[in-house]
Amino acid sequence: MNALRRGVKNAFRNTIRSVGVIVILAVAIALSISMLIARDAVNTKINSVRATTGNTITVSPKGFYGGFGGGTPLTNADVTKVTALPDVSVVKAALTQRLRSSSTSLVSGVSAGSLGQQFGGGGGGGGFGQSTGTSGSTQTFTLPVTFTGTNSPGDALTGGANGGSTEKLTHGTSFAANSTQDVAIVGTAIASANNLSVGSTFTAWGTTIKVVGIYDAGSTFANNGVLMPLATVQTLSGSTGQVTSIQVVATSVDTVSKVTTEIEHALGSAADVTSQQAQTEAQLAPLNSVKTISTYTLIGAVVAAAIILLLSMLMIVRERRREIGVLKAIGAPNKSVIGQFIAESATFTVLGSIVGFIFGVLLASPITSVLVSSNTSTTTTFGGFGGGFRGAGGFGGGGGGGGSFTPPSGGAAPGGGSFRFGGFHGVSSTLTQVHTSVGVSTLVFAFVAAILIGAIGSAVAVGNIVRIRPAEVLRSE
Amino acid sequence: MLSVANLEKTFHTQAGDVLAVRDVSFVAGTGEMVAIVGPSGSGKSTLLSLLGLLDAPDSGSIDIDGTELGSLSASQRTEFRSRQVGFIFQQFNLIPNLNARENVELILEYANWPKEERSERAEEMLKLVGLDGSKLERRPSRLSGGEQQRVAIARAFAAQPPLILADEPTGSLDRATGQKIVELLRRTATQQNATVLVVTHDDRVAAQADHRFEIEDGRLTEKP
Repeated sequence: MNALRRGVKNAFRNTIRSVGVIVILAVAIALSISMLIARDAVNTKINSVRATTGNTITVSPKGFYGGFGGGTPLTNADVTKVTALPDVSVVKAALTQRLRSSSTSLVSGVSAGSLGQQFGGGGGGGGFGQSTGTSGSTQTFTLPVTFTGTNSPGDALTGGANGGSTEKLTHGTSFAANSTQDVAIVGTAIASANNLSVGSTFTAWGTTIKVVGIYDAGSTFANNGVLMPLATVQTLSGSTGQVTSIQVVATSVDTVSKVTTEIEHALGSAADVTSQQAQTEAQLAPLNSVKTISTYTLIGAVVAAAIILLLSMLMIVRERRREIGVLKAIGAPNKSVIGQFIAESATFTVLGSIVGFIFGVLLASPITSVLVSSNTSTTTTFGGFGGGFRGAGGFGGGGGGGGSFTPPSGGAAPGGGSFRFGGFHGVSSTLTQVHTSVGVSTLVFAFVAAILIGAIGSAVAVGNIVRIRPAEVLRSE
Repeated sequence: MLSVANLEKTFHTQAGDVLAVRDVSFVAGTGEMVAIVGPSGSGKSTLLSLLGLLDAPDSGSIDIDGTELGSLSASQRTEFRSRQVGFIFQQFNLIPNLNARENVELILEYANWPKEERSERAEEMLKLVGLDGSKLERRPSRLSGGEQQRVAIARAFAAQPPLILADEPTGSLDRATGQKIVELLRRTATQQNATVLVVTHDDRVAAQADHRFEIEDGRLTEKP
């Protein structure tokens, strides 16, 4: 029987004490495993939420409120400044114009409907769109057609400048980013309402525009738009050098905050710079709290386990001081005696770890649920529309009845004049949906923690063993 | 053969220096039994610790079978002890959670005996001291005092050390059992060619030794 086997055997010399030590160790290790799993689960959730937030920053004229208007347009010079900033990968500039039938041959592909009549055409109210009729009489109105000049037609067709989720070029071709041609890509709703196909023409600002492509963005509203080269729209609309929105894509989610600050410094008071990250971070704060709590509890549990083992082993060495002296006297080298006690300590640790791991895994899910639910609001929050209205309509357009228009306050972020379909972000509603799982990292942690606990727990005992002098022990006989 | 010359050991205490062993010299031959008698505090246990290499002398020399032990390092002393010195204690000092056979095997492990021979050697030694059968598998707590001391003797002789140090080997035993243990010690010493040094209060034990010494205030004198 070698020292290691004697150590394992010694671990059960005092059954009650051994069971007690193993149970206490198991509780501490179960807590640490549960906290690790909770931490990993919360971390995964945080990362997934951050990933969905994206790394897009929207820059709009100061006070600009989507379709409600407001503010002074940004300029090409502003675009240049933003492009020159570090950590900026893509800059998309857009100039949005809404044309009524007096300025374009196109008609809207979307009917106002009763809601449109209610919000936009009410006599005496602040209507939107293009109204006909007289004050006090029944009015009808049609939605204007939105023209978007963009320098990123490729991105625009994949959910960029025109908002929407999945704009795809269904017919024809796109145009170059720096094109100055009188060309357009029209949405399927516009194409259908105006019988347009690739090669067709229409007029806007008194100029004949050729349709080079047709896109589908998956919704009638998003398909009710016209995309044209930025320079062309700037020239034709008499808005040379102006842009109404800039979308900046940061190099990564991690640099969004930094880039946002840099843009604010670069453009000063001329622009509102927004990203969803700040809002998302606020919503993630409770989960970050859970992460912090679980991290500290995890560390505390491991340290507690190590201290428990350390005190137990100190007690055991103290009890067996005489036996250690005898072993040394009859020729046991220090390494043999130390090995025996480390084996005993390791036996406690391994058994405590196995029991603790099993219970830790079993308890991880309920503990995580309790932690998360007690730290997050269970109320579903309305994240707001991701941007203002840009597409159809145009709130604030003077109705027949006239009346002043005041942009609504609170709620949605300005968003630089682009309407985000699916912009309702019920992030908080999913924050409590944290799923736990046991991965390789958990197993590795359990192994490393067990070694750490065993090493710390044995260290002082080993020191005491080395210091025991057999002559002194035997002299006291 | 054990040869001790001019051995001295002083303990430095708060009350002052205590000269525990003073200029001790003697020689004990192979197979002989030497008895050292003396009252408590006379220096018996200190002398035993020095001879067993548990403590280092301030001066003097100890020579066992031609090996001078004064120059050995701590680890060398430990190794030497495991092979060359056997200990028998008054309280037996067997390892409580090992059975009789395992207690004897333990010393063989420390003495680096071949693994496959340890069990056989342990049983041989236990049989030599009168223990066999189910008693080999008993833990010390299930053995009588005399049986425990027999296990201790088997353990001390198992690795065939040339020197056996016995500290009051009969101190915890009744007279009859003590007598049997002394006879066993003598017999085993002869069979194993070992020098046995017995520290005792008991004149009857000392009377059976080949040489008798008395120690008082650290000084050793031979008695007729």
